[in-house]
Amino acid sequence: MKSYVARRLARAVLLLFAVSVLCFLLTRLAPGSFFDEIRLNPQISPQTIAALQARYGLDEPLPLRYGRWARSVARGDFGFSIAYNTPVAQLMWAPAKHTLLLGGVAMLLCWLISIPLAVWSAAYERSWFDRGVSALTSLFISIPEIVLALALLAFAMRSHALPVGGMTSVGFDELTAWGKAVDIARHMLAPVVILVLVGTPVIVRHLRASVAEVLHAPFVEAARGCGIGGARLLFRHVLPAAANPAISLFGLSLAALLSGSLLVEVVTGWPGLGPLILDATLARDLDVVVAAAMLGAAMMIVGNFAADLLLLAADPRIRTGSPDAG
Amino acid sequence: MLRTARLCLLVQLLAIFCLAAPSPDPLQPKEEVQVCKDAGQYGGRLVVGLRAEPKTLNPVTAEDAVSREVIGGLMADLVHINRSTQQSEPALAKSWKVSADGLTYTLKLRRGIRFSDGQPFDADDVIFSWAVYTDEKIASPQRDLLILDGKPIQVTKLDPYTVRFTLTRPYAAAERLFDSLAILPRHILDKPYRNGQFLQQWSLNTPASQIVGLGPFRLKQYLPGQRVVLERNPYYWKADAPKRRLPYLDELVFVFAGNEDARLMQFEAGETDVVNRLSAQNYSLLARQSGGLQLDDLGPSTEYNFLLFNLNELNSSHVPEIERKQAWFRDLGFRQAVSAAIDRESIVRLAYGGRGTPLWGNVSPGNKLWVDASLPHPQRSVDSARQLLKSAGFSWNATGNLLDPGGQPVEFSIIVASSNSQRMEMATIIQDDLSKLGMQVNVVPLEFRALLQRVFQNYNYEATILGLGGGDADPNAEMNVWVSNGSTHLWHQGEAHPATAWEAELDRLMNRQMLTLNYKRRKRLYDQVQQIIAANLPMVFLATPDVLVAAKPGVGNFHPAVLEPTTLWNVDQLYLRRGAEMARSR
Amino acid sequence: MRDRGSILVPAVLLVLWHLAFLLAGFLAPYDPAEQQRELPYIAPSHLQFRGPKGFHLRPYACGASTVVDGPAPCYPVHFFVHGCTYSFAGMPWSVHLFGVPSPGRIAILGTDAYGRDVWSRLLFGGRISLAAGLLATLVSLVLAMLIGTISGFYGKWTDELLMGGAELFLVVPWLYFLLVLRAMLPLHLTGAATFLLVVGVIGSLGWARPMRLVRGVVLSARERNYVLAARGFGASDTYLLRRHIAPMTAGVLLTQAALLVPQFVAAEAALSFFGLGVSEPVPSWGNMLAVLQQYSVLVSYWWMLAPAIALVITSVMYGWLAEALQRSLKSSSI
Repeated sequence: MKSYVARRLARAVLLLFAVSVLCFLLTRLAPGSFFDEIRLNPQISPQTIAALQARYGLDEPLPLRYGRWARSVARGDFGFSIAYNTPVAQLMWAPAKHTLLLGGVAMLLCWLISIPLAVWSAAYERSWFDRGVSALTSLFISIPEIVLALALLAFAMRSHALPVGGMTSVGFDELTAWGKAVDIARHMLAPVVILVLVGTPVIVRHLRASVAEVLHAPFVEAARGCGIGGARLLFRHVLPAAANPAISLFGLSLAALLSGSLLVEVVTGWPGLGPLILDATLARDLDVVVAAAMLGAAMMIVGNFAADLLLLAADPRIRTGSPDAG
Repeated sequence: MLRTARLCLLVQLLAIFCLAAPSPDPLQPKEEVQVCKDAGQYGGRLVVGLRAEPKTLNPVTAEDAVSREVIGGLMADLVHINRSTQQSEPALAKSWKVSADGLTYTLKLRRGIRFSDGQPFDADDVIFSWAVYTDEKIASPQRDLLILDGKPIQVTKLDPYTVRFTLTRPYAAAERLFDSLAILPRHILDKPYRNGQFLQQWSLNTPASQIVGLGPFRLKQYLPGQRVVLERNPYYWKADAPKRRLPYLDELVFVFAGNEDARLMQFEAGETDVVNRLSAQNYSLLARQSGGLQLDDLGPSTEYNFLLFNLNELNSSHVPEIERKQAWFRDLGFRQAVSAAIDRESIVRLAYGGRGTPLWGNVSPGNKLWVDASLPHPQRSVDSARQLLKSAGFSWNATGNLLDPGGQPVEFSIIVASSNSQRMEMATIIQDDLSKLGMQVNVVPLEFRALLQRVFQNYNYEATILGLGGGDADPNAEMNVWVSNGSTHLWHQGEAHPATAWEAELDRLMNRQMLTLNYKRRKRLYDQVQQIIAANLPMVFLATPDVLVAAKPGVGNFHPAVLEPTTLWNVDQLYLRRGAEMARSR
Repeated sequence: MRDRGSILVPAVLLVLWHLAFLLAGFLAPYDPAEQQRELPYIAPSHLQFRGPKGFHLRPYACGASTVVDGPAPCYPVHFFVHGCTYSFAGMPWSVHLFGVPSPGRIAILGTDAYGRDVWSRLLFGGRISLAAGLLATLVSLVLAMLIGTISGFYGKWTDELLMGGAELFLVVPWLYFLLVLRAMLPLHLTGAATFLLVVGVIGSLGWARPMRLVRGVVLSARERNYVLAARGFGASDTYLLRRHIAPMTAGVLLTQAALLVPQFVAAEAALSFFGLGVSEPVPSWGNMLAVLQQYSVLVSYWWMLAPAIALVITSVMYGWLAEALQRSLKSSSI
């Protein structure tokens, strides 16, 4: 176990380092710079633009900039946003919380909905329920996320049932505590529904396939023979045995807590990391982009670690790191 | 769900009636306020959608349009360009005098007016602001406007309410330079400026009480990713016809939408009151279901979109391919043929949904004061295009492909910003039009900044579609596009000497008009400029979109204008009709 | 036996579906790039069996004509007509399944912003998009299976290294990678180059997720009793991998395949944003779907949803096939 944790730690450190170096290379090699857009303004001279670039060190050689960035990480600033003229950590804190809230709720719902759907549709294979689930998952898998999001948003707007964009209403501060909670929930509904519609089919597909596979296994027949049946059989015995790909997926969705909802946030105007990162990417506010990638990497490490532990717990055959394993 | 929604609305309704906005300070006898013609009603909250989040509230360092739009509500300038008449008019300076030689501008400031924190305004604030704007270390994006021949315009204080600006040479319509230069509060910013901390001032996280200006509103609250709330500046220096202090609105709220469509949806859903810069497609969506909305098609904007060929001097490291094609691009006959073959009417109809105007020159009819109406508008003609190509030595092979004088097939790529669907549509239309001449045109969509790098830095492109304009309507704003050593001389950058005789002539005319103080004479010079450009086609002009805006029926004094900020230029006079407020909540 | 039959149905349907796109030139009445600028966003023509002289057996197509004035005229639909030329099997052809006499237009799925026939674009676009989507899926799944199996089977440092690589792939800012890639390529890319690029980029960016799933399955598979037993009898690693472990990943891979095909078809639209996708005027489902991202188009012109519906149909059929295959694998292994 000790060597396993050591390997994991080494990988985490190496990954973070590799991500930062690769990000630096990519972001600096990419064409265009933050100040390119104001070149189109005939009233700003190239000298002024050069002075602005020098102020943010955009004209310095790569290693120097990497060193400066590393020092700023050590300080806890995680770089400096040119657009907002402020340290990145300060800039990303509030949106990251919003994204976590949205992503967490959506992920919870996704799994709560997809597990029973998948198990039941596998249990009643080829029934109308199974076929219905399968057709619906195909539908939501094949419509691109952005089209689905726009369509749902348009529907929500036309029906005047839901607010469009933002997380709170304009008069939020004047509301009571209960009113505030309801207000946030109303604003969250549209992005959460979209995320659930996008996320659930994938889980259902995988889980259904593996549950169906396990249902044919001899031990299930045996359990049936012993009189164990119905929901108890499905959820207590079959589901854990069929959990393998689902756990890997769970790790991935944990890793995607901060990054999986970015597109939906942009479309629905949720004040999370999505709009911020998209803006920064297109505007070449490079430190924000690098910080976002680092955050993604950190989540990935956590997600994978959790998934491996779960895999171990669900499937005792796996001994990920014990010395006697292959 | 419905019940809680109703409850929410009830609470919101209550909130509207007890908005804690400061009430306007009574006018004082010594105060020289500006009196406007309009009248309206006090109270209410106007919600406006922004297409992105503002980045800063510092008027000196802000360079993006969204930040400027918000800052516009917080700050005021000495002389203001009336967006409706496009003429300059008094603002913080109640009057100005120009010396006979055009070298000194003497401005009389309003007496007795106050900043949004109640502190008095005088000439020292102007001197201070000027020092900040012209400071080389600050590198304000607005600094270059204030530099003539390498020297900043000098300012001196004659008395506490009189300042004099001294120019090194005459400059036409110099008072327009004062527009949008926000006057800063010396009592707040002097100390950080002297300590070298000016650049860190007035970010979005600055406490609201520290952001002080002369605009109709002051900052109340900023919620990252969601909105900026401004409240009435109780000391604002304008009054309405019945001599009541403006602005009418208690609050002005900017909510951030991720993109254009989200902004439209917020408006459709009734969450915002005003929306500007609508695309024609979105405008007609609104028009189809207008429940008494105020929809305005203001006619052509001042923006001009054009097809640009790469005529830059390429150094040898470049793709020889582009250099070879430049022989065609440099040929006036070729450019004229391309221009003649382009179906501008279709561009307007398809890309702008009919809400646009075809262009044959660089000044759009939206620029009322400066457009040369006599410029020819030749009909689209594939035949005359073929004629032009034939006389330039081009020919066609058996399959109808166009061959250059050297027998090579004519094929080139147009790079277009993929984020701009209108320009993508223009490119696709042009591609089809030019295929009728036997040209093989490839449309290459690129991310916007990647495109700009090719256009401005490494010249690795053959042709592109871009747009310019939309700023000040005055020809001086376009100086650097047309003079040969200008920074935005897009088709051939960094020319040491004008490459052609007509470019030399453009240099001469543009510099002359800048020194000419008389409007009529200036107009004649600028007409000549437009004629030369239309005749030599350094850019093939395509079309300009209409300015399309919408507002809720309850918004009063809504007089949108073509120039930015189209809907909010008179935000100090906008008001919400009583009763409309109730309707909104229902 | 019963299972073989259940594979046959989706397989035959899929072959027919793909055949339709192969015969795009014949089934489409018009050149997919031909603009009719007087007819932007025309709703689908409706067919009726009432001509000028009462009831006809021949259908009439109504709604679109390049002659603008007057009420929407109807034109008789003819079959096996001659129209624009297209190439099929290396030869030029000009016969089309159906068409209407000029100046009538038959637009069974309406027209787009330039008045181009959506039906024709759907058929021609499907050719490119389906091929690219399938190939990209194949590339990424082969990569996923190889890397995932090795990673799960050998474990320890190999696993850490490969997993680290996959994680790197998942978190790096791809948009910048695409920008850098575009900057290094020549200005204009030929059709074949674009196709290979789309397949290569999507395929090599997409392997990391399925790889994680494969690895999880392999981790469990290699400790199964019969695998351990085989190892005890001196089976080599390659034998174990080939004989026992790789087949166990088939289920996950099949499910992934059915998921990835539609996603990869749509991903082509994102590449277009960076100038790496199929560009105008050549149709692809990706660039047809990209138009739907404009809110005004989405809510005003429902027929522009055609590529999304085609994608759903494709996805349903592949999902069906994957499921049937899985079932037959299971029954043959028991």
